[in-house]
Amino acid sequence: MGTPLKKKLPKKPLEVAIAGLKFKNPVMTASGTFGYGAEFAPYTGLEKLGAIVVKGLSLYPRQGNPGPRIVETPCGMLNAIGLQNVGVDEFIEKKLPLLKDVKTHVIANIFGETIDDYMEVARRLDRVKGVSALEINISCPNVKKGGIVFGTDPQEAFRVVSAIRKSTSLPLITKLSPNVTDIKVMVKAAEDAGTDAISLINTLTGMVIDVERRRPVLATATGGLSGPAIRPVAVRMVWQAAQAAKVPLIGMGGIMNARDALEFIIAGAAAVQVGTASFIDPDAAAKVASGIEEYVQRHGVSVRELTGSLKLA
Amino acid sequence: MQSVESKILYNDRLAEGYFRLGLSWKTPEVKAGHFVMLRLSDGMDPLLRRPFGVFRVIGAKGKSTRGTGIELLYRVVGRGTTILSAKRPGESLGILGPLGNGFPAPQKGRKVVMVTGGMGIVPLYLLAQRLPEGTLLFGARSKKETFLLDEFRELGIKIKTATEDGSAGVKGFVTALLEKELSTDTVVYACGPVGMLKAVSRLCLDAGVQCFVSLERSMACGIGVCLGCAVRTINHEARENRNYKMVCSDGPVFDGKDVDWELL
Repeated sequence: MGTPLKKKLPKKPLEVAIAGLKFKNPVMTASGTFGYGAEFAPYTGLEKLGAIVVKGLSLYPRQGNPGPRIVETPCGMLNAIGLQNVGVDEFIEKKLPLLKDVKTHVIANIFGETIDDYMEVARRLDRVKGVSALEINISCPNVKKGGIVFGTDPQEAFRVVSAIRKSTSLPLITKLSPNVTDIKVMVKAAEDAGTDAISLINTLTGMVIDVERRRPVLATATGGLSGPAIRPVAVRMVWQAAQAAKVPLIGMGGIMNARDALEFIIAGAAAVQVGTASFIDPDAAAKVASGIEEYVQRHGVSVRELTGSLKLA
Repeated sequence: MQSVESKILYNDRLAEGYFRLGLSWKTPEVKAGHFVMLRLSDGMDPLLRRPFGVFRVIGAKGKSTRGTGIELLYRVVGRGTTILSAKRPGESLGILGPLGNGFPAPQKGRKVVMVTGGMGIVPLYLLAQRLPEGTLLFGARSKKETFLLDEFRELGIKIKTATEDGSAGVKGFVTALLEKELSTDTVVYACGPVGMLKAVSRLCLDAGVQCFVSLERSMACGIGVCLGCAVRTINHEARENRNYKMVCSDGPVFDGKDVDWELL
C-alpha cells in the first residue's frame, strides 16, 4: 500500500476570491478593532493581511458614547464605543493616504443613521483610489439610530442595501448582526438587495452590572460582546448562513489564532476577520495568516477547498 | 513602541498587597508618565492586557532614559494583579510599550509641585528623578497608606503629607497643603484618585497655575484603536467645544483645565 500520495497543492493555496476581488490570503482585520490601519504599522506587517477593514465611517464625524465604554468579561469584552469616527471626508483626505503604499486591500466599513446617510457615504467613497470594497454595518448595537435597526428587520436590511447598491459601483459586503432569530432570513434579504458578500457576526448584545452600586458598568447600560466567549455562537451562525447563502461569507467572532479561523472556514466562510485579538496582540491577524499557511501546507489543501468542507456524520 | 516578550527579573513583595516588579527589557526611551501594557496570561481569561505606569528605568546611568529593564510597582486589586503577584523570576510576560504622551518637562525656573495619593505616586518617580528640586505632597487616609516617600526624599525632593486621620503630617486633605504652595511660577503634576485630581485641578485653575494630571481608565488596546478609554475634554478655542480624547494615546497626561471633570 505505502503512504498515499499527498495531493498536489494548487497554486496560491491561500488566495481567495470574494466579490470579484482577489485576496492574497483569507485574513482581514475586523472593523473597529484596527483603527484606520496605520496605527498598527509599528507592530505588524500590514502587507501580510488579506485586507484591512477600517473603523466604521459615517457622513459626519461622530463623538461616540460617554465612558465607561468597555468592560472585560469572561473570555471576552463588552464595548459601547458608539461609532466614534473621523467622518468619511477626513478618512479620504487624511487616513487613507497613509495606506497608499501598503500592498493589500482596504475595505471601508460604512454606517448611517438613515438610508440617505448610508447612500451619501457610499457615494463619497465610490471611485476613491485605494478603496477596494465597502462593508455595510447594519449591525452596530451601540447607537440609538440606524445600525441594528437595519440589521434585525429583513425588510429594512433589503431597503438599505438596495439603496447603497444604486449609489456605488464598489463591491458590497453586508455585515450581519447575530441578534436575530433566523440568520438565513437576513442572508436572503441582503442577497436579494444585491450584496456581493456577507460578513458575520457583529457583536452580541450583553450587559454587566456592578452589584455594589447596582448600576450597569457601561454608561450606555448595554454593549456588544466580543472575544473568544462568542466564538461557538459565531461558528454556528456562519455554518447556518452557509446553508442558505449564494454569495461568499466572511466569518468572524472571537478568532484568536489560526485554529479558530479554520473553524469558520470549514464551516463555510471564504475568509475571516480578526477583531478583539488585535487589541491583545497587534500582530494577531498576521499570525493567523501564517498559521493558516502552515495548516494548508501540512494538509495539502487550499483555503478554497477548505471552505465549507465540514464533514457531517 | 514595541511588542516583545520580557523576562521577570524580580517580583518582590514590598508590603502587604504591594509588589515591585523588575522586567528585563532593552528599553526604548522611556519618559516620565509613560505606561506599558502587560499580558498577564497566555490563556483567554483574563483576556485583555493591563496598563501599568513605569516606576523607573533599571540599569540607567544617571538621568538616562534608556536602560536594561524597567521597574513597575503595583498593588493587588483584582484578578489581573493577583495573577501577576504569583509570577516568579525567569517567567516571561508580553510587554507593549512604552505608551502614552508622558509628563511635559517643566519650563526653566518653574517651581515643581507634585501632588499624589495611593499608587498615583508611581509614575511621578521618573519625573522626580529628572528634576533638580521639587516638592511632593502626598495625601492618604492614614499613615499606613503612605509609601515610597523615602525614595523621593533620597532624590532631594521635599515631602509633605496630609492624612485624613492625622496619623502622619497634617490632618486633612492634600489640597490644604497645595493651597500654600501655589504661586504664579508654580507648575503642578498630579496623579492619584479621580476625586483628588478634580480638586487639585480646580484649585490650580482658580489660582491661574498650570496643572498636569495623569488619568486612568479601563482600556483594551493601549494604542488608540479600541476607543474604550475615552475622557471628555473641553477645547477652549473651538465653538463645538466638547470632544473625547483617549487616555492611552492622547494622554494619559492632560492639562487639568482641558478635562471635563463633570463626566469623570
